[in-house]
Amino acid sequence: MVEHLFIISTTLFASGSLFALCFYKWQKLGNTISLILAAIASCFNIVIAASVLLNQSAIRFNFPLHHAIIEYNFFIDSLSAIFILVISVISFIASIYSLGYTKLYVNKRDTRFLGFNFNFFLLSMILVITANNALVFMIVWELMTLVSFFLVIFEYENPLHRKAGFVYLFMSYICAIFISVAFFIMFSYVNIWTFDFDSFRYAGDIMPAISKNIVFFLVLIGFGIKAGIFPLHLWLPLAHPAAPGNVSMVMSGVMIKTAIYGFIRFYFEFLTPCPPWWGIIVLTIGATSAILGILYALMEKDIKTLLAYSSVENIGIILISIGLSMIFKSYNLTALSSLALVAGLYHMLNHAVFKSLLFGCAGNIYYSTHTKNIEQLGGLIKRLQITAPLFLVGALAISAIPPLNGFMSEWLVFQSLLNGFDIPSVIVKVLTAICGATVALTGALVATCFVKAFGISFLALPRSEHAQHAKEVPVIMYVSMGLLAGLCVLMGLFPAKIMMVINHVNIDLLDVNIARAIISYDWLQTDTLQTNFSVVSTKSASVFGLMLLAITVGAMTLINLSFTKKLYETWTCGISPEPRFGYTATAFTKPFRIIFSNLYRPRLEIKTTYSVFRYFVKSILYVSEITPIFEKYFYAPLSRYVLGISNKVRWIHIGSVHIYLIYIFITLLISLLVIRW
Amino acid sequence: MIQLVILPILQIVVIAGLSPLVKGFINKTEARFQCRRGPGLFQPYYNLMKLLRKDAVVSETASWIFTATPYVAFISVLIIALLVPVLSSTVPANFTGDIILVIYLFALGRFFLALSSLDTGSAFGGMGGSREMTISSMAEPAMMLSVFTVAIIGGSTNLSNITQAMLHYKSLSPSLMLALAALAIVIIAEAGRIPIDNPFTHLELTMIHEGMILEFSGRYLALIEWASSMKLLILLTILVNTFLPWGVASGFTFQALIISFAFYIVKIGFFAFLIAVVESSLAKVRLFRIPNLLGTSFILAALAIITHYIVS
Repeated sequence: MVEHLFIISTTLFASGSLFALCFYKWQKLGNTISLILAAIASCFNIVIAASVLLNQSAIRFNFPLHHAIIEYNFFIDSLSAIFILVISVISFIASIYSLGYTKLYVNKRDTRFLGFNFNFFLLSMILVITANNALVFMIVWELMTLVSFFLVIFEYENPLHRKAGFVYLFMSYICAIFISVAFFIMFSYVNIWTFDFDSFRYAGDIMPAISKNIVFFLVLIGFGIKAGIFPLHLWLPLAHPAAPGNVSMVMSGVMIKTAIYGFIRFYFEFLTPCPPWWGIIVLTIGATSAILGILYALMEKDIKTLLAYSSVENIGIILISIGLSMIFKSYNLTALSSLALVAGLYHMLNHAVFKSLLFGCAGNIYYSTHTKNIEQLGGLIKRLQITAPLFLVGALAISAIPPLNGFMSEWLVFQSLLNGFDIPSVIVKVLTAICGATVALTGALVATCFVKAFGISFLALPRSEHAQHAKEVPVIMYVSMGLLAGLCVLMGLFPAKIMMVINHVNIDLLDVNIARAIISYDWLQTDTLQTNFSVVSTKSASVFGLMLLAITVGAMTLINLSFTKKLYETWTCGISPEPRFGYTATAFTKPFRIIFSNLYRPRLEIKTTYSVFRYFVKSILYVSEITPIFEKYFYAPLSRYVLGISNKVRWIHIGSVHIYLIYIFITLLISLLVIRW
Repeated sequence: MIQLVILPILQIVVIAGLSPLVKGFINKTEARFQCRRGPGLFQPYYNLMKLLRKDAVVSETASWIFTATPYVAFISVLIIALLVPVLSSTVPANFTGDIILVIYLFALGRFFLALSSLDTGSAFGGMGGSREMTISSMAEPAMMLSVFTVAIIGGSTNLSNITQAMLHYKSLSPSLMLALAALAIVIIAEAGRIPIDNPFTHLELTMIHEGMILEFSGRYLALIEWASSMKLLILLTILVNTFLPWGVASGFTFQALIISFAFYIVKIGFFAFLIAVVESSLAKVRLFRIPNLLGTSFILAALAIITHYIVS
């Protein structure tokens, strides 16, 4: 049954791709059909995920395409199902959103390739999650990279986009190399001639510690590149903003999650049991990514780059939970391990929802103002009257403000960190406490960052013509974003339901059922979460809030029945208010630039031109920029070094096919000799 | 059942009712230190009453965020008042949340205040909002770590459980002292008092919280002022009732509540006096010195946790 649904959805995606290509004359029609097909296919996938999660039974099936080495077998367990669920929900909404967003490109450029690649992109993500064979996995993984690369360079005439695409492709290939080497090392310890994941499961038992450690690092770097952890995030803030709005929504919302899936598969299934220091490394990397990601997001003026950096931060939070879960697991604290895993997966779901929402709203801003630079926006709340509250919901959710969903997962992360005191090692205890402080700092910085993002772009007076004449986007675009905003609220108010769903993964992966810890109170029918540390229910907190609001408003009205609001212009010391009086993003984050100057290495340049006397300033040029230290001190020397070596060995490229054939022959010979001995 | 109805009302009445008095008390004490008579103890009440009756002037530039902010700020503080043990260690909304929710509810109010500071399009507001967010970002880790310390000692992040555990906690642990010191600094920062922020100034160079709320008037200003004084009282309450829970009623009897109330007044009075002393004897530090101060607080809190692990 599920197998048929899977085939149907795959076919729908594929035919959607082809439909997009069909109509050269009526590109809009082709595009619409392909996007609708993608939306329907996503619905099928939601059904698949739901049925697997509800029946709690893993499903495996083979595609009968006989081939010498590759068996096209697929496997959906609860872990895959969770990821399929989140990918499908986001792709459904993204497809609907695209129906509006692609109007931006209609008659301006060839949208056929957008629809073609978009469908294949969604399909490839589903296949990555379901593949149960290392070779199939690598093929669909590469497919995912390739089609998303085409989407990144969709607006190829912009050199920045081409650069972004190149960096993305380059990093992705390094990522693929690392992962495939990891697979091959594991394969060498499995005695059966098959790349099936089933033979890899529990390969950790037979592998010697040294190769396990090598595989650990290979996987960490390989999937780390895709996930965008520091300092491997290089491509992420370039590629996500370059892609069209609907695509960056999917890329940042769910594509980077495929790497999280990879981490969990490897570390919780293939390489078990793992030593505690693996978890510590993942935890530390997560904390570093979280804090650095948000610090760079804070400085961004391009709204989509800001959101991309914020993805780095959120991946960091997810990795903190996963690392914690690994640590707990290696000390055999399985219940705590599952709590941490639930926190991580919960945050993964949340991030997919609110990041897609924010990217969608950024797309709306771009659609109506044709700019992504928030310094040129302002006053949009009165022009994009529906997008503004939607963006606000996303901003509040990502800042972990109760009662929205971001808070619930952050709370769970804190709870799992606090349970770190159960770990027998003092170093880990202190480390978890410090990570708690890091998460707190990150949370506060996220709030600042999104006050900036929302405040500067939506409030005050418009600072440019674009913002002045912005008009609300087509209905379909904000309706689809409304769905996501609704999800943000629901996932915050009913956390126990979400956790129950994620709990299936625990049962499968860790053999623990923590359903008892997720209990409900009777009073107010509150959805309450209970860990062995504390309880929280944002639902009843909101109920209290609404009650108190009613009382307050009532009391206010009683005190002053004839209350009037008088509108008057903002007092700006006697001059009539102008847009340039308002605070800018650069100004808003100036204190951080000074406090964290060791990291940012800010460069400031003020050029004043005078007319006649020193007292009459004609114009002031203010240039402020920060040094991207990772690019400058890590990637630049590295690439210089690599280029230097390549220059030295360039002489072997003679250009003659015969010589190349000899190279191949020698390589083959050496490989054979190496394998024999 | 009576507990469910009376306790919430009691807590809100105590917090909302007493908070202007705490402010008045601090002001009066400071005036005494400066050899002034100063306004009466109840001046903050008169101010609130006056503001509540007045109409408001709102900027044309401002959007709905601006009018929603005072309510959000006020309500979020009221919810917190339900989550913090005040007179009894039983908390009305015990099942609803814990100290992490409290911290993030403060963030809710702050988020909206910072947004509304940008809303009117004047430079003062943005400046205040930017500074407030900076300071709170710096304060958050220290606050979380000191909270972690009590949470680990108390075995819960639920404030009611922490208070109950602390009531029976006999030893005088050094880690608690360190956490107390750390939290005290954080509270001064969060409540916007000297030496972090000067609540009496409207000077461009020095104002932080006042800069944010410069454009509010009438009822809106009253709500925000009230919320900020409640915030100070709640933070002090958390401090006294988690670290020094002497006299806090563990049950719900009339007698115990009266005793608890007396203790509460004394403890809060002591800390308010301490704030007045600090404010009178220190100058406001420069904005970019604040991270050092909060860094000290962070180190103290981190030491508190490490001490706890080493001592126990």
